Amino acid sequence: MIDAAQGFSVILILGVSVAISWLISPYVTGIFTRAPSRVDRLLNPVENLIYRLAGVEPTHGMGWKEYFLSGLLVNILQMAVAFVILSSQGMLPLNPQSFPGLNWDLSIHTAVSFATNTNLQHYTGETMLSYLSQMAAVQFLQFTSAATGICMFAAIVRGFTVGSKDMGNFYVDFVRTLTRLLIPLGFVVALILVWLGVPQTLSGHVMVVTVEGATQKLPVGPVASLVSIMQLGNNGGGYYGANAAHPFMNPNPQSNILEMVLMLLLPTSLIFVFGELLGKKREARPILIGAYTLFGINLFIAFINATHLGPGIETRIGGFFSTFWTVVSTSATTGSVNAQLAAMHPLAILSALLGMLIQAAPGSGVGVMYMVMYVVITVFIVGLMSGRTPEYLGIKITGRDVRLVMLAFLIHPAIILIPTIVAYASGAAAAIGVGSDSLGFTQVLYEYTTSAANNGSDFFGASANTVFFNISTAIVIFLGRYAPIGLMLALSGSMIGRKRGTVVGLKTDSISFSMVLVGSIIIVVALTFFPFLALGPILSFFQGYVNGLG
Amino acid sequence: MVLDREKPVKSSNPKSIGTDLRVSIFSGKVLIDSLVRLSPVSLASNPVMLIVEVTFFIVAAMAIYPQGFVPVASPSGRLFYVEISAILFVTVWFSTFSAALAEQQAKNTASSLRKLETEVLSKKIVTEKWSRKIIPTKSTELRRSDLILLEKNDIVPIDADVIEGIAMVDESLVTGESTPVRKAPGDALIGGSRIVSDTITARVTANPGETYIDQMIKLVESSKRPKTPNEQAITMVLFGLTAIFSIIIASLLGISVTLDLGADLSVILALYVCLLPTTIGALLPAIGLSGMSRLYQRKIVAKSGKAIETAGDVDVIVLDKTGTITVGNREAMELIPFEGYSKREVGEAAFLSSWYDDTPEGRSIIRLAYDKGFIPDNLNALGLAHVYEFSASTRSSGVKLAHSDDFMLPKGGKAISQRQRISRKYSSASEESVSSSFGEVEIIKGAPDSIKTMVRSIPNNFDEAVDTISASGHTPIAIARNGEAIGIIRLRDVLKTGIKEKIQSIKIMGIRPIMVTGDQPLTARSIASEVGIEECVPRAKAEDKFGIVQKAQAESRIVAMIGDGTNDAPALAVADVGLAMSSGTEAAKEAANMVDLESNPAKIIDVVLLGKQLLMTRGAVTAFSIANDVAKYFAIVPVLFASTISQLQALNILGLGLNSAVLSTLMFNAIIIPLLIPLAMKGIAFKPTNTMSIFLRNTLIYGVGGIIVPFVGIKLIDILLSMF
Amino acid sequence: MKDRKSRLNEKERASYKPIIGITIISLLMCGLSFPLLITGLAQVLLSNQANGQIVQLNGRSVGSTLIAQNFTLPIFFHPRNDSASGVDPHITLQDAYAQISRIHNATGIPSSALEEIVNQNTEGVLLIFGSPYVNVLRVNLMLIKTFPSAYKDSV
Repeated sequence: MIDAAQGFSVILILGVSVAISWLISPYVTGIFTRAPSRVDRLLNPVENLIYRLAGVEPTHGMGWKEYFLSGLLVNILQMAVAFVILSSQGMLPLNPQSFPGLNWDLSIHTAVSFATNTNLQHYTGETMLSYLSQMAAVQFLQFTSAATGICMFAAIVRGFTVGSKDMGNFYVDFVRTLTRLLIPLGFVVALILVWLGVPQTLSGHVMVVTVEGATQKLPVGPVASLVSIMQLGNNGGGYYGANAAHPFMNPNPQSNILEMVLMLLLPTSLIFVFGELLGKKREARPILIGAYTLFGINLFIAFINATHLGPGIETRIGGFFSTFWTVVSTSATTGSVNAQLAAMHPLAILSALLGMLIQAAPGSGVGVMYMVMYVVITVFIVGLMSGRTPEYLGIKITGRDVRLVMLAFLIHPAIILIPTIVAYASGAAAAIGVGSDSLGFTQVLYEYTTSAANNGSDFFGASANTVFFNISTAIVIFLGRYAPIGLMLALSGSMIGRKRGTVVGLKTDSISFSMVLVGSIIIVVALTFFPFLALGPILSFFQGYVNGLG
Repeated sequence: MVLDREKPVKSSNPKSIGTDLRVSIFSGKVLIDSLVRLSPVSLASNPVMLIVEVTFFIVAAMAIYPQGFVPVASPSGRLFYVEISAILFVTVWFSTFSAALAEQQAKNTASSLRKLETEVLSKKIVTEKWSRKIIPTKSTELRRSDLILLEKNDIVPIDADVIEGIAMVDESLVTGESTPVRKAPGDALIGGSRIVSDTITARVTANPGETYIDQMIKLVESSKRPKTPNEQAITMVLFGLTAIFSIIIASLLGISVTLDLGADLSVILALYVCLLPTTIGALLPAIGLSGMSRLYQRKIVAKSGKAIETAGDVDVIVLDKTGTITVGNREAMELIPFEGYSKREVGEAAFLSSWYDDTPEGRSIIRLAYDKGFIPDNLNALGLAHVYEFSASTRSSGVKLAHSDDFMLPKGGKAISQRQRISRKYSSASEESVSSSFGEVEIIKGAPDSIKTMVRSIPNNFDEAVDTISASGHTPIAIARNGEAIGIIRLRDVLKTGIKEKIQSIKIMGIRPIMVTGDQPLTARSIASEVGIEECVPRAKAEDKFGIVQKAQAESRIVAMIGDGTNDAPALAVADVGLAMSSGTEAAKEAANMVDLESNPAKIIDVVLLGKQLLMTRGAVTAFSIANDVAKYFAIVPVLFASTISQLQALNILGLGLNSAVLSTLMFNAIIIPLLIPLAMKGIAFKPTNTMSIFLRNTLIYGVGGIIVPFVGIKLIDILLSMF
Repeated sequence: MKDRKSRLNEKERASYKPIIGITIISLLMCGLSFPLLITGLAQVLLSNQANGQIVQLNGRSVGSTLIAQNFTLPIFFHPRNDSASGVDPHITLQDAYAQISRIHNATGIPSSALEEIVNQNTEGVLLIFGSPYVNVLRVNLMLIKTFPSAYKDSV
């Protein structure tokens, strides 16, 4: 367990994150309501120019299908661009190390992984990616995938909002999310990161002769701009293979805390934005309380056996902050790591898996969406017990709504469990040296969970750079991203113009409902995954393992 | 007020309705029906139970030929497979049994309702070749387009059109209009009205009210009973859960085979069945049917299951004052003389004017005057009195007396014996009497504003007295004698017993009652506030109800209302829940989605409570069923891979034996179905409090309870099994 | 009138034309302009950090304080040999103290002086967060600077 000072630091960091999130939420809301803002004078001309160049009709309102398809098609096109850059980087500029292009399967995997905000990496950045790839493939997709997720969130909320006529315009939301939120915020954060010691240069790797006379290559590059958006946008894909354990990405405790706050910032802020966009601020309550209660439970599980400094843990970060970070990164579905996952206690891995399976504690752009799904199903199942047809936000929940939500819940177990079995049955797991024991099973289960949840933290790294793992995880990632979003947009789109009651029997904004919500989320996730968690980290725990290093 | 499961909210004769569970259970019909339903074809409508049946076949096959299932079965497990397949079979049978039982109960209740219909013997005209025959036929057996003969004093059995003849018809029973109406060919006759003169032939235009019961019985009997929106949504949850658990079980099997974990197929299938929402899957049809049965027990016929469900969602109830909040009759309380007149004068005038007023109001006026000792000495004169019948246009009635010493028996009426007694006792009494004993006396009583127009001068405090009475929620009746207003009678509305509590209970659940009345505003408001209703619509006609319902619906409210007249039909049709009185017109019954055979409008509140109970019961069993799965995991997962992974025994927090863990969990899973049948059929008990309290209470009992109960239950069964 | 109607319809109709423009513009904005702008500013304003905090010894670059380099001679503090990133530049304070006797034996520098240098190079305590650690390269460079005679043969 953790000591008092560590407990205090948890509360302080979470408190600060929630406070800043709350402070920026009115501004973020304005991005989607298009309310007049002080930045209009500067940004309106820029945005209007973009609309004109791209042929966007800003006043055009989209239905859910058009909104979804626009987002999906933009993302697919962006994947294609990234695929071309990654696979042909050897022939492209900004490649001082003269790295060759990536294999087709790794290029596809990387493009899909980054375009979907997953950032599962089967490559080692410092030895495989050119500066152009790091910028125009990786950072580019880190921006756009975060923006896409946030746009989808906004569209979903619009569907639930009284008086909405449409889901908004994807292109406008997308452009405004970039110009008004991610780029300016990313700009400030990147400069702070440089100041804290994160490199940002385009000159090649620095070769030095060490004090004892050996040659050493220092892999500098455009790192700060990447770390900024990767944490801010809950992407999690690092510049280096070691991710945020690498001192160039996370040079000191200050940067470590800053990056943790950044991971929580937008997911938490969007919870407040949810209430503000709805025009019912109190409705953010169950989502906030639910998310942070689940987060607290995850922290508790992870801290039962806090990891100590040892193999796989960085000195400047320490066991406590490595564990804390892992929970933040998986609960907020970022997926960056500042320590080796294999160095983590099985209970910390259990906590990480739970965070990814819940995907809303607090989750990234789509975290609120998952929470809304949990609310809908909870309202439906337990809400009947209030003696009324269950309503959420005054809207009666119909059979169709329930079907859409159940389908979304069905996707997760299907795309996690089936490939896990196939990985073993086909020998693909054994081929990369993964064992058939609880530790190995945990790693394979984790690989597909992190893919399905669009998280990106993993045990394997470049060792999973095989055709099987590249393609299977790419498929899981793609389905895990777009299927739930599509279903949720369909649900939300059907809310537009639907009859709304003014008397709400079940008060979803009450503390008591929030607690019932937490209970039902735990039951839903536990019922779906308990046997597999039992064969993985839970079994490792009972078998007495203290980490996954074997 | 508690909606108790033991006692129906209101039922005049609950024993007569076939609701006794024991009787139903022992009827062989239910048993046979439950066995017939075991066929996979009839189970197709219940996929959850169909899957359980399929697992039964698989495990039974494993018991017969275990060698064929290696490596996921072992020949040494034969007895175990037999045990598992037996429990699986019983599980399916429990579910078909509960469905058969609920259906039988609903049928029994529905058919017993037929007896409640008031029957009128009518004269059906049957044309046979050359001759016409008159056949005495029960009104319930008449059908649309039958011809009937109606003679003087006959009751029109059912809505019909006149084809031949002209007659005067008294529609006062239906419309309240006392003046008989002339009906000629083409005119419509309203069921329940009375022929006053002449003979007519008419063609029946509607099937009798009993057809609703037929409709209901069909609804109950049909295996393709349409699912209500709520049932559809729950079915989606069940489908979703079934799909999720199918993936989980297939994955467990796949992992076990791939990683060589040695799990037995029978144990995996047992886990599957335990996880499947079998409890709610088995009881869902029974819950819906029992909801209807509970309505029948209160002698209310619903035309669809959806209507009962919608009743639970009602936000606004439009209540008629008369009949719902107050008993139809007003009661005289006080006599108030105007200046220059004594109480006795008013009392005697009131007495005389009410002699021929054979309404409860009139009788109560006589009772009041009699109790106060204001007995007129010229009672005999009543015998030759000229009677002014109540007319809706003047809203007054009265008598004109000529002086006479001859004693005559007064005109008959329901209260004739009482009047005779009074007459005999006081006819000779001639103490001081203020009423004039010579010349003509004309006494008129009626609505104050109409009396105002008849009198020569209006006393100074006339309006003040009228307003004071109205403001206190009472009704003023003015009395005029020979063209002079002499006083006012204060009539009081009599509240129905328990109505205040009922209003309180619906308000506490967040439902808004709106009172509709023809009374004037002051009276209306006063009665409304007496029972705790904030909103009332005074001086309303039946037609106004439509607007009231629409206005509430425009505010996204779910509205329930009652009605009986043809004028109510549009409002009944547009209301989300429309409860028509069986005594009402065919049009009203046609428009409504429920009909109360007892014609008790106050039952609308019970309907709402029943709707809530139905939804709650469904939610409670669903939540309970899902919550049960937690314990089942903890019981079975530790033993699933027991042969290869011993460490998972750490999760065996119940300390169950290897085989016993599977058998006890399966047994619990099966036995919980019949154990919950009474709950499903009677509905869960609840106290009307605010929605959140109800929600939290039920979540605690059925949600949290649903997690705890199986832990205890499984352990108990395990202990029992270990004794053998 | 008809014209206006058809134009309205066009506005209502789904159009996927902008996906190409949006993709290109976002690529230029996020994938190129943003990192290039940050690079430019960082190089001008914070060039030491932006280039990897390269440290000099005797006028030549010998490494980055953020990247561990191998020290094998007994006269130096040694970095960790297990580590997540493999380039962990720090050791714990305890680890540093534990190495003092070896360095003392190899160089003759008094233990108290070594302890003093370790203490001077202790970092990583941010308020209550974290536990103290020592940067191996920095403390070794300090040793070389402070006791040039002890190290003149080795560098």
